[in-house]
Amino acid sequence: MKKIVSIPVAVGLLLAAALAFFLGALFVDQAAKDTQRMIGERHGIVQAMALAEVVSRVESEGVDVEDRLATVVEHRAQLKVKGIRIIRLSGARLLASSMPGDKATPRRLKKDEKWLFDLGQRLRIARETNRDEGIARKKEIELEYQPGEGMSVSAPYLVDGTVHGYVQLQLPQQVPASMASRGLAIIGAALVIGVFFILAIPLGHFGLFRPDEQGLSRGQLALAAGVLLLGLWIFAVTQISSLADHRWELEEGLAKHFTQLRAATMDISRSFGFKPAPFTKNLWDVDDYRRPLGISDARGHLMLKALVAVQTVQFEEMRRSLDGVGLLALAVLLFCGAGWATRLKDTLVEHREAYLYVSPAIIGMLILVFYPFLYGIVLSFTDATIYNTGAPLKELWIGFTNYLNILADIHVFARSGQGWIVNYQNFYWTLFITVAWTVVNVSIGVSVGLLLALILNTKGLKMRAVYRVLLILPWAIPNYITALIWRGMFHKQFGVINQVIQMFGGEPVAWFDGVFSSFITGIATNGWLSFPFMMVMCLGGLQSISQEMYEAARLDGAGRWHQFRYITLPSLKPVLVPAIIISVVWTFNMFNIIYLVSGGEPAGSNEILITQAYKIAFEQYRYGYAAAYSTIIFVILLAYGIFQIKMTRATEANI
Amino acid sequence: MKDNLTGEMNHVWLHIFMILFTLLAVYPVLWVFAIAFSGNQSLMIADISANPTFFDRLRTILPWPQHVSWKNFTDVMTEQPFARWMLNSLIVATLTTVVGVFLACTAAYSFSRFRFPGQRAGLMSFLISQMFPGTLMLVPLYIIIVKYLRLGNTFWGLIIVYSTTAIPFCVWMLKGYFDTISVEIEESAIMDGATRTMIFFRIILPLAQPAIAVTALFSFMTGWNEFIVASLFMEEEIRYTAPVGLRFFVGGFAQQWGYFAAGSIIVSLPVVILFMFTQKYLISGLTAGGVKG
Repeated sequence: MKKIVSIPVAVGLLLAAALAFFLGALFVDQAAKDTQRMIGERHGIVQAMALAEVVSRVESEGVDVEDRLATVVEHRAQLKVKGIRIIRLSGARLLASSMPGDKATPRRLKKDEKWLFDLGQRLRIARETNRDEGIARKKEIELEYQPGEGMSVSAPYLVDGTVHGYVQLQLPQQVPASMASRGLAIIGAALVIGVFFILAIPLGHFGLFRPDEQGLSRGQLALAAGVLLLGLWIFAVTQISSLADHRWELEEGLAKHFTQLRAATMDISRSFGFKPAPFTKNLWDVDDYRRPLGISDARGHLMLKALVAVQTVQFEEMRRSLDGVGLLALAVLLFCGAGWATRLKDTLVEHREAYLYVSPAIIGMLILVFYPFLYGIVLSFTDATIYNTGAPLKELWIGFTNYLNILADIHVFARSGQGWIVNYQNFYWTLFITVAWTVVNVSIGVSVGLLLALILNTKGLKMRAVYRVLLILPWAIPNYITALIWRGMFHKQFGVINQVIQMFGGEPVAWFDGVFSSFITGIATNGWLSFPFMMVMCLGGLQSISQEMYEAARLDGAGRWHQFRYITLPSLKPVLVPAIIISVVWTFNMFNIIYLVSGGEPAGSNEILITQAYKIAFEQYRYGYAAAYSTIIFVILLAYGIFQIKMTRATEANI
Repeated sequence: MKDNLTGEMNHVWLHIFMILFTLLAVYPVLWVFAIAFSGNQSLMIADISANPTFFDRLRTILPWPQHVSWKNFTDVMTEQPFARWMLNSLIVATLTTVVGVFLACTAAYSFSRFRFPGQRAGLMSFLISQMFPGTLMLVPLYIIIVKYLRLGNTFWGLIIVYSTTAIPFCVWMLKGYFDTISVEIEESAIMDGATRTMIFFRIILPLAQPAIAVTALFSFMTGWNEFIVASLFMEEEIRYTAPVGLRFFVGGFAQQWGYFAAGSIIVSLPVVILFMFTQKYLISGLTAGGVKG
């Protein structure tokens, strides 16, 4: 039988449909659960507000307050709640409670119940702040989920317009029900695939959209894409409309609950001999800021316009997610249907041994090096700090603000009363120190290392091996220990270096108090630990130069300087250039020395970029800003690396 | 004859210079020994009178303690939890070496022996990853290790971080060495019916022993000497590694220099000895990678 259906397209459609409908069902389910949860919260809020109204009436009457409230809290069974607490802030009194465990009310709050008082204070402050500012900024109702126990709602009650206390309800755990979207998704995916075959097979018989030799067919790919998108669209439309129906039902239930509560509070009010308060609007169905939502009116009828408005926002978000799912599914279909997947599979199979050996390291690197790196880059576009670690990064997104704050701030110098002062926290100052630090260190390393290597390479010099071993010692010692040793030696009062200065009659120097002297401490430490590396590298290079070249040069009458300039240096280049590149990168990022010796003292003037980034992240806890700082460091190093490679290539080409 | 004499004269000056320089270079090490064996916590090698003379000052800089005592060593191992920290470091560094060497050997072998799509990109990305600033990775690493993998305050958290950070250097080094092993050996082994796995474990790994030793040393030192990640991840004092513990003695307002000096010597001794024995290979590895470019 000749091929009629393109296998890659069919497989692609199968994968794409499975993925799309599975994800779609997941989103719909999540949306339904979110709605149920939100409605559940609003049930709690309506109850708390109803209760708060009764309490506030009782409190403003001021007669038999505690007895009356005791009867109020006994309504918990009717309200379908686990318990009620009523707390008055003045005197920190627990007026009444039907919470299991709260015994003997009314009474003063105990010491271990301080959190209840604090909660009340928060609610009062929130109310006052919002009233003074005229905006809704702080939440006036607090919701708290206790895992496995349910939810508590705390709403303030007001007397004469000020917060007097609050009521707290403990609501039972509610289990949100799933919608039937999962079953629908399977049917949808099956339908999409079925329709594709029903269309493709007859068309193929008539010679349309037949796959070519490789089994590929653009026509069938387009057909599959069309069927898939149509199926997804129908799924989305039906699911959104059933979500809307679901919401409508839940809102109706809530509105009914409201009318019941209203009747119940009227009964209670009458039993206390109050005149029932007139009710023109549903003032209990409110958001966290106690602003009425206006979805249902005073008699519990739904307001269609308001409901549609809130739902539009919800469905807009839903639609965007489903659009994303559609795009993803199309990408999968295209990837398989256009034959790329087959090719990828062939490559993987052909080189399976190579990939098998390389995969453990690559997987490790991906998870622990490249993913953190990309995450860090993303973090640099947010204002993530220690205080908002839980928030999703999307909400913290601030674009290039961090980079602008770092790079556009060029006020390194500022004029003060006594003259010019330097802003040591400025990026460009730190960059200047870092460059100076790197240049000075590498120069010292290269010159000292080269000099020692030349001496050690002298023919016939005795005790070479001894010198060599002793001089390598600083390299062998872990550098954090070196740093701490030098920190001790630079101690103002007890340090050895100041003892030497005093030995010759000098005054002790407070090394870490001056910008320049503090810089010197870092240079001394790093110079001490870095020259052996250069020395050893140079020595290796020198030993590989053949003596015949020198002899030939001497015959030509070349002096020592000429021999050094025209034989030694060029021969050392292949060793010296990579060594310098490596040590520039090392020194640029030499965290331990700066951090442990001077700590960037005084006043952060001697920080290098990497220690500054660390301090921003782990002493100021500004993760986003620190990430932007670090990204800039990376870009500088990368630019340096590319420049170096280009430079070496260019010079090699000239030779 | 005359030439020989001036040569000797030159050597005298060279020796004087070298002896002075070596003394200067070794002084901090001697200083640590003097503090460690002084038996007390002071930064000073010798006490000093109210009106010190030149020789009193000289005494304070001579790296020989006034009373030689093992007290700091015995105290740091028994009264301080330093033995425990050493053990932690040993566990972390050893397992880092095992995991790191395994990952690096397999990857380097693949990069050296096979031609496959993504080879160049993989090697280049390893090289570039060496430029990633640690501070950029710390916060995400913390989130991955502590929140996702729930390995905060455990040795495994440190081990997997250390072994992956050591991979790029080790892979480049080992790849350079594997490249020098001739392919003919492998081809004849294949003729004899050996599989790739057998070749890798029976032929390549034994031949590459010196390079593997250097890689192992490098991985071990990464685990043994690191203190930033360790100080962020390890919350309990009992789980500190030796570097975190050493900084604990003299960081901030702590001034236990005697413990620090004794601890430093104990911590450094094994790595210094290892380093002295393997530095030749380490250097050849560094230069080999560099010269080839």
